[in-house]
Amino acid sequence: MRDTFSTLHPIIIFTYFIGVIAVSIITMHPILLILSLACSAVYSVYLNRLKTLKFFLFLLPVFLFITLINPLFNHTGNTILLYISGNPITLEALVYGLFSAVALLSVILWFSCYNVVMTTEKFIFLFERIIPSLSLIFSMILRLVPKYNQQIKIIGNAQKGIGRDPSRGSLSARIKNGLAILSILVTWSLENAISTSDSMRARGYGTGKRTSFARFRFDARDALILGAMLLLFATIIAGALGGLYTVNYFPVIKIDLVSPLSFLVYAAHTLLFLLPMLINIQEELKWRRLKSKI
Amino acid sequence: MQHTNNPGKGVRIRPIVTTLIVGIVIPITLFFGTAHMTERKYYIISLLVIIYAMLPFFIAFEKRRPKARELVIIAVLSALAIASRTAFFMVPQFKPMGAIVIISGVCLGAEGGFLVGAISAFISNMLFGQGPWTPWQMFGFGIMGLLAALLFKTGIFSAKRIPLSLFGSFLTYFVYGGIVNTGVLMMTNLPLSLSGLISVFTTSFMFDITHAAATGIFLFLIAEPMIEKLERIRTKYGLVE
Repeated sequence: MRDTFSTLHPIIIFTYFIGVIAVSIITMHPILLILSLACSAVYSVYLNRLKTLKFFLFLLPVFLFITLINPLFNHTGNTILLYISGNPITLEALVYGLFSAVALLSVILWFSCYNVVMTTEKFIFLFERIIPSLSLIFSMILRLVPKYNQQIKIIGNAQKGIGRDPSRGSLSARIKNGLAILSILVTWSLENAISTSDSMRARGYGTGKRTSFARFRFDARDALILGAMLLLFATIIAGALGGLYTVNYFPVIKIDLVSPLSFLVYAAHTLLFLLPMLINIQEELKWRRLKSKI
Repeated sequence: MQHTNNPGKGVRIRPIVTTLIVGIVIPITLFFGTAHMTERKYYIISLLVIIYAMLPFFIAFEKRRPKARELVIIAVLSALAIASRTAFFMVPQFKPMGAIVIISGVCLGAEGGFLVGAISAFISNMLFGQGPWTPWQMFGFGIMGLLAALLFKTGIFSAKRIPLSLFGSFLTYFVYGGIVNTGVLMMTNLPLSLSGLISVFTTSFMFDITHAAATGIFLFLIAEPMIEKLERIRTKYGLVE
């Protein structure tokens, strides 16, 4: 399935994820957290399919663990459910634990979307101008890691050829042979580093501005979406400053769920959280419409 | 000699940035945070303070306009830390990353150690998946590299096998574990108390102890040859100053 949101300008993608993650971290409001979890789950399943569903199996115990560990350590709250070895377990702490788990899970799911949508290429494009030296290091590392993994295989094969197979022999022999590979890799990579830096110097690194190739263009569609996104952020911030997020879990749960203004904030959140999916749906509809005309 | 390199500049900039952050930005964050936020304020404030704490290193490094050789050596050491993590990915938490970060601290000094630690944590999460844990891990590994460099300079431990591996295990368990577990405490919203922190430490005990043991074992096995190799490169090419 195509993800149209990924084709937007990196700055929009990055701002979007920073925004939704910040919103999900700041609040403990139950409705907003459930919205965040539901929308992040939908988008994550859309992007990762089966992988996310498998991921849920791993997240479920984490979810239960956080929900249950909170009342074990937090004994504030008025409604006592039961006593465990003399300590009261309260309803408030249980609910608080539940929504803490919802918050953490939604952040993890947003990150699972971020990891797919915000590719390394986009990240480096975005930060190249702000932190040029560090971005260069980042892109060097991203190149070097697969190169080293390949080199580990080459060295391993060569070692095997002279009878030092790291996958055979006694444990101590295996460790010794494995370390020999690591040691050869280190020497090789350091020598390699010297020739890389000499080559960089020879080509005039540091003498002027670095140029770079980028396939990203900020167009009218990007401007429109950025504008809409900032408007939604502004509404949410206004709602937060207006105290609509204020939730009290202790000593008794006191949450203002329904008021005319809160619906505005809920709507803004829903739109924001569903933004990538809305863009995808719109694109899909447009695609179908154009196709049926032919 | 490269004419663009100006080592004096970075040295001057870091104290200024640090003073600004410690003297102005952090107090403002604390004040605003405690006064205007009700829920999750400790999580957000601690997250921001961690990010502020990392900024001076990155800003000073950028402003210094580092030489190609410095960039490459940091990239190579971070890439080695990450590649070695992939080599052992079958065993959870048994990764040589901490060992390589400590070796970098010993060989490159405080700034280099911090950068190798923070950058390798960041990029390895870029490859394996970013998450809310990223800033804590970056800070944890960065501080590990920094402390290794500073304590090595004061001569509290030497670059010999046994003291280095004991020291490395200690740093991994208490410093890195302490920072990351505080992050877990914040993320799971447990009460911010000593008993809360102890509960996180107990639940993650197997994880942390494997990690600490891995750092110790790898330092015992690879530290001496690796430091030797870095020394050799230094004398041969004048690489690390």
